[in-house]
Amino acid sequence: MRTVYLAGVGYTKVSEHWDRSLTELAAEAALAAVRDAGVERVDAIYFANAAAEITSHQMGISAIVSEELGLSGVPSVRVECGEASGMAALFQAHAAVSSGLAEVALVVGAEKLSDLMPEEFNTVFSMTLPYETMGFAGVTPTAIAALLYRVYMERYEVPQEFVAQFPALMHRNAKGVPHAQFPFEVKLEDVLSSPPVAPPLRRLECTAPCDGAAAVVLVSEESVGGARSGTVTKLAGVSLRTDYASPFDREDPLHLSSVALSVEEALLRSGIDRDELDVLELHDSFSIMAPLVLESAGFSPKGRSGLELKEGRFELGGELPINTFGGLKARGHPFGASALYQVAELHLQLTGRAGKNQLDRAKSGMAVSTTGFGALSGAAVLIGGDSA
Amino acid sequence: MRPGIRPQEHWRSKRFRYMLEVLRCANCGTVNATRRSVCRRCRSTSLVRERLPERARLLAFTEVKSATDVHDEMAPYLVGLLEFEDGTRIVAQLTDADYEELRPGMEMEMVVRKIAQDGESGVIVYGFKFRPVVS
Repeated sequence: MRTVYLAGVGYTKVSEHWDRSLTELAAEAALAAVRDAGVERVDAIYFANAAAEITSHQMGISAIVSEELGLSGVPSVRVECGEASGMAALFQAHAAVSSGLAEVALVVGAEKLSDLMPEEFNTVFSMTLPYETMGFAGVTPTAIAALLYRVYMERYEVPQEFVAQFPALMHRNAKGVPHAQFPFEVKLEDVLSSPPVAPPLRRLECTAPCDGAAAVVLVSEESVGGARSGTVTKLAGVSLRTDYASPFDREDPLHLSSVALSVEEALLRSGIDRDELDVLELHDSFSIMAPLVLESAGFSPKGRSGLELKEGRFELGGELPINTFGGLKARGHPFGASALYQVAELHLQLTGRAGKNQLDRAKSGMAVSTTGFGALSGAAVLIGGDSA
Repeated sequence: MRPGIRPQEHWRSKRFRYMLEVLRCANCGTVNATRRSVCRRCRSTSLVRERLPERARLLAFTEVKSATDVHDEMAPYLVGLLEFEDGTRIVAQLTDADYEELRPGMEMEMVVRKIAQDGESGVIVYGFKFRPVVS
């Protein structure tokens, strides 16, 4: 397998873009990424999107994306893996470049959720759960998050604020970030006093419907010379794993084995250890997902991530900063695009372009994405600096 | 476009939704959803139809305030995590109780109730819910 490099990124602000379509947003991010990479050609397009059929009346959308990019003729594939579509598309694009099928692959994720009425958004979000056994009965992602939350607090005997402080951290990091959906602070007290959506889960422990697009350009080691120096990172390892769709069908509902396995495998493929990572972008679709991901992936002992957050470990200046631009909670969660925002933000950190959120000496980072509650998860490791 | 309710889909799934019928693997004992070809754990094809017990223990519960388009009319409604004697867990709507009356550990029993309605003159879906056992 050939080494794969990330040569450029692009993204839109996460927002309610009333005046822009799904493919317009995709094009804005993709063209920015191609410009950033300075590449002359694109051999393959991977379009990550969860819900185009419902939000945009469109099947076969990958061809429309290639047309809007002025790249008709180029092979273009839409990848749908729910909220983890972006990571799955990155996985496919990495395979294409590392195998030699493509020299330059464009991965763009986009989602257009703000056109949906609130109950339609709930319908789409509920599609991340198994319909035959849960969705049909009105079991929503908020309900599953609430049940996991209860099981977590009871098993580890931790108070709600240990979980509810994760959204507050995300908002601290998103403050003043131009591309964030909610670029302002939200205090723990605000989270805990927001209306319950499914007790104990509160409104400010959930993400909100939004639109957004993010893109990255992958190039082979043979073609990386053409990219501008100092702006390249190495995509050292990508992994994708699946699990039973309902967390309660698993032996331990609080252990996301697809997260554990994909993180382990991505590290193995990258040849680095967990404790060598300088930054982590993780999937916090609900407050409770942040501790579940951290603890399943072995970054924190079981039941202890809330305490570690309190002690400062995950802050921008901490030992392992997480979600440095606000994560899904505050930067925003446009499903198919979310993992590509994570990867693009890691790239900004590792190339010294993270602005006011720039970490000191960040050499390697990981993004962890999942859909539903660990039905499918993926992890990607980026390495920057001299080691790239 | 809205997905709504597909009567055919509901008809196919009726044995699970009306009777809690599942497929238990004769090889490893794992419970699988109805209509599967192989066991999800060991891939055995020896799957035997079985009805889960009508009673289960409530492990945790919540109240859904805002729901999908075909369930929204019934919101807010209760949702619980239940465990059967053999350790099989299920997530279901709860009924015949207020949020304040529920306690983890309560014994619950299965009833068939209205689950969803697709529009004013649309299809009504029935299925299992659980309620506290009244002794």
